[in-house]
Amino acid sequence: MESKNVLVVGSGISGVASALELANEGVSVYLLEKEAVIGGHSASFCCKATDICSKCSACVVFDKIKEAVIHPQIKLLTNSTIRRLSGELGNFRVEIIQQPQYVDEEKCIACGLCTEVCPADPKAIYLPFAGATPFSYILDEGLCLRFRGERCDLCQRSCPTKAIEFELKPKERELNVDAIIVATGFDVFDAREKGSLGYGRYPNVLTGLDLEQVFTREGYLRLPTNGKEPRNIAFIQCIGSRDEGHGYCSQVCCKYAMKLAGLINYQNPDTQVTIFYIDLQTAGKGFAQFYEKYKESMRFVRGVPVEILQTLSGELEVRFEDIYQGKVCRDTFDLVVLSVGISPRKNSWDLARILGVNLADDGFFDVRDPLGSNETNVDGIFLAGTCQGPKDIPDSIAHGIAAASKATQVLAESASQRRGN
Amino acid sequence: MNGCIVAFCCEHSAYPAADLAGKLRLHYPENLRVIRVPCAGRVDVIHILKAFENGAAAVLVLGCEDGACHHITGNTRAKERVKYCNMLLKEVKVDGRPVAMFNLSPNAPHKFVRAVNEITKIIKESGR
Amino acid sequence: METKIGVFLCNCGGAINNIDFDAVVKKVAKFPGVTYVNLSSNLCLKEGREKMISCIREENIERVVVAACSPEFQEHIFREVLEKAGLNGHLFSMANIREQCSWAHDGDVTMKAVELVKMAVNKVRLLQPVEKKELPVNREVLVLGGGFSAINTALQLSRVGLRTTLLEKEAALGTGPEELESFYGFDTGSMISAVEGDENIEVLTSAQMMAVEGKIGDFSVRIKKEGEEISRKYGAIVLATGYQTALALDSEPKLRAKDVAISGINIVSQEQFCRMLRNSSLETEPKTIGFMFDFSDENSRFTTLATLNNALEAKKKWGSEIYVFYKSVKVDSEGMEKLYQEARDCGVVFLKSEAPPRITAENGRVKIEAKDVFLGEDIILACDVLVAEELYLPAEGAENLSSLLSIRRDSRGFFQDENVHLYPVGSEKKGIFFIGGCRGDLDLGRVLADISSVVMKVHELLSSGKILVAVERVKADPQKCVACLTCIRVCPHGAIQLVRVDGSKEVAEISDLACDACGICAAICPAKAIEFQGYRDEEILAQIEAIQEL
Repeated sequence: MESKNVLVVGSGISGVASALELANEGVSVYLLEKEAVIGGHSASFCCKATDICSKCSACVVFDKIKEAVIHPQIKLLTNSTIRRLSGELGNFRVEIIQQPQYVDEEKCIACGLCTEVCPADPKAIYLPFAGATPFSYILDEGLCLRFRGERCDLCQRSCPTKAIEFELKPKERELNVDAIIVATGFDVFDAREKGSLGYGRYPNVLTGLDLEQVFTREGYLRLPTNGKEPRNIAFIQCIGSRDEGHGYCSQVCCKYAMKLAGLINYQNPDTQVTIFYIDLQTAGKGFAQFYEKYKESMRFVRGVPVEILQTLSGELEVRFEDIYQGKVCRDTFDLVVLSVGISPRKNSWDLARILGVNLADDGFFDVRDPLGSNETNVDGIFLAGTCQGPKDIPDSIAHGIAAASKATQVLAESASQRRGN
Repeated sequence: MNGCIVAFCCEHSAYPAADLAGKLRLHYPENLRVIRVPCAGRVDVIHILKAFENGAAAVLVLGCEDGACHHITGNTRAKERVKYCNMLLKEVKVDGRPVAMFNLSPNAPHKFVRAVNEITKIIKESGR
Repeated sequence: METKIGVFLCNCGGAINNIDFDAVVKKVAKFPGVTYVNLSSNLCLKEGREKMISCIREENIERVVVAACSPEFQEHIFREVLEKAGLNGHLFSMANIREQCSWAHDGDVTMKAVELVKMAVNKVRLLQPVEKKELPVNREVLVLGGGFSAINTALQLSRVGLRTTLLEKEAALGTGPEELESFYGFDTGSMISAVEGDENIEVLTSAQMMAVEGKIGDFSVRIKKEGEEISRKYGAIVLATGYQTALALDSEPKLRAKDVAISGINIVSQEQFCRMLRNSSLETEPKTIGFMFDFSDENSRFTTLATLNNALEAKKKWGSEIYVFYKSVKVDSEGMEKLYQEARDCGVVFLKSEAPPRITAENGRVKIEAKDVFLGEDIILACDVLVAEELYLPAEGAENLSSLLSIRRDSRGFFQDENVHLYPVGSEKKGIFFIGGCRGDLDLGRVLADISSVVMKVHELLSSGKILVAVERVKADPQKCVACLTCIRVCPHGAIQLVRVDGSKEVAEISDLACDACGICAAICPAKAIEFQGYRDEEILAQIEAIQEL
């Protein structure tokens, strides 16, 4: 294949998977990412192994991100978004705007001195999460006092490698590419929308994503309020899935809840876990054997609770309908985890408008043909991953590779057409 | 080599986990010496015994989680070899030379540190 | 033989600040074989690398040690530096004095740093060069199967210019589950025509694979077609052999879905029910229909799909009363929740129960008894037809195929080990891939992603007709090998075979194409005949010897 350029929009696992396949074929890939770090949501997921691997694939994400960062054919463009698109398959012109990176990732040694001296609350300069790639602190303009007009340069002065510079402006550049793969991922359902569940009000109500990040950061779970080991944990499924605003199953929550619960039980065998569910999604390669184990050690309750109240002693009282007894019950837990689902990104509409790509009714990117979920209504623009609909990590990787495959096929065909074959 | 812990770290799991521990400034005892291997299954009995011959206080073999070995069976073979080594050392009445196998993922720096701390505790308890 | 070793230290722009580099330089300069030591602050950056290249040339350095950050991110860059300076990239070792030394411990770590450098120097002294070479590979692909997955894989492979053989054991293509066509509305007939008209695709029906040898880029396959033997060579093999179903009655697979209704009462499979729906000359339209699923097998995505589609169709066509008995509806596939809601809105009644219903015959009808979770009461239903629960099982011949190819299967007997690093479509053997149904997945969305993924991976491997390999990076010395076959049995990647050398002796040969450089063979060889460059016994032992108090 003649030398090709492809733009992959979004550096989550699906975008990275797409980029790697194309790069391995000798294609020049621009991997565009709007944040300062690459890897999307799954980069901050924790390993959930107990005495055996629980097949959560968080380590696969870690491996692939590393591969992408060192691949000579992949050019990373962080802090970047698309401003305008023109052209067509084989000849797209993409105007990119790159926000300034006030902390030079090549100089930053992640010593943390800047965070210590930052006067803002919450801190305006921080490490996005453990294992962030590029491994560098980032300065959040929105939180920084200096960018709000105050005179502060404490972080700059504290930096031993002089990695911080304030006087930087956004950069514009134009890319010329043959095809585009949209891999912009998803938004996590905001559990505050279900106000009666107490997220954001009660510190011991967490989401599944919060739990992942706690394990990634600390390696173990302790109650946010008092630092003690939780004794009694509830997982509530279908938060933001299979409801009025979301007519789909998010596909990941039942499994991640059970795997996280399994990890918690492995670390604290005395902790009691209860899972509240509607229909338990236990299908899929290799999962049945985990479910057999969990069935014995965890309590499964049919019915999703609608209200959580915090008692005077700080416990969480969960009100739910016990279907077997046919009445409303109250159980207390010291920690509740809301298994939040996958929602379409709120800013998909902007990108869809710029690219000329359709969104489906549910807010995810629409596909041209139900028998080919990578192609959009625009020739040469493909979809990869959860931006097209909920998927777990292995399915996101497969979908990303499939997007690269479709792009390769379409480019091969248009090349041979141009050659007059 | 008095008192060093020799850790054979698989390049897919333990080695990157050790790197991540360093990036996060998670500290562990300074007497750890890492030898990078392509798979825990590459580690042979003679490597472990040589480490003790040279004065190591303990030997760690670290590989991927059970069921997640990049080479499918490497970590299982390593586990068996470590068991064999312990049995061998016991048979020749060489006491207080612990060899242990730990399984972890590349994104589990805390598990790496836990493994080093655990073997350090065992060394202290055996009075070396 | 003393070789000239150059040691390049880096303090990573000041990031490494608890090491006394002057002391390190002094000590390292005394190591045997070290003829050059230098401290830099930015080895990984362009200027640092260029300086390194000139240093190597000017000082006639033959082997290089870099003591800096982790090899995980920089090793390949420094190997390139060596190549540019005229050295073999393999004559290189890195000491991780940053992440695994400076950053991992409090206080001064100079002593440890010196030891880590000594370990690397000891290793690099013994390293041998490894060359790279492009080996030719066969560009043809063998696709096992003749259903939806196999057909579409062949069509996509053709699109990217690869020739394929479709190998199907039945007499005709398209022998997949009939429900798929009616559920998804695609046209098998036109797909088959496309395949038959495609000059890149060869179709062999009534044909089976009898033996396979070789490795990626060079598989030798013996096929039996209608009594005749055909020998072929392929670069890659794709399994798209599907699955089979069996009725689960009394929690035990008793009947294959192809069998007819039992004991005079109407218990059918999903496929048979589909045919009933399409049968325009059906004697009597069933008035009350029962469906059952998700009691015996957690992997009920397909039966969920089949039930919902068939129930909706039956409601629309016959207006029957439809009751679905289930434990959990599996909606974790695209479009399933919508379909489920549609069925409920259409009046299909869903009855959730924990235990499998009891099935008996009464007055020529099927009696279903189950305890409904929400009502807390027993429901007794007499229906005209029961569409029984189906188990989703590996296809006939899966066991035989897995032993022919020497590939692992998962805990349920489907292809592809449950190791996440193989997902989505790979096997532990390079060049062998799995698609969809035969590896345990079954909804269309996932199957389509599998198909395109395999096409991409195969194209990446074979399209240029050659693959770059490290030549003899892992090699069995024919002088020492006693052909005990241990390495062959132990290699997880099937990369070793027995070959004849010097006209008589048989020895193990490790394929540069198929080897994945794990070293399991090197560890297990009882004759210590296998050398793994970079991880030979002497190279590992030399690192151990360096660990001592200095």
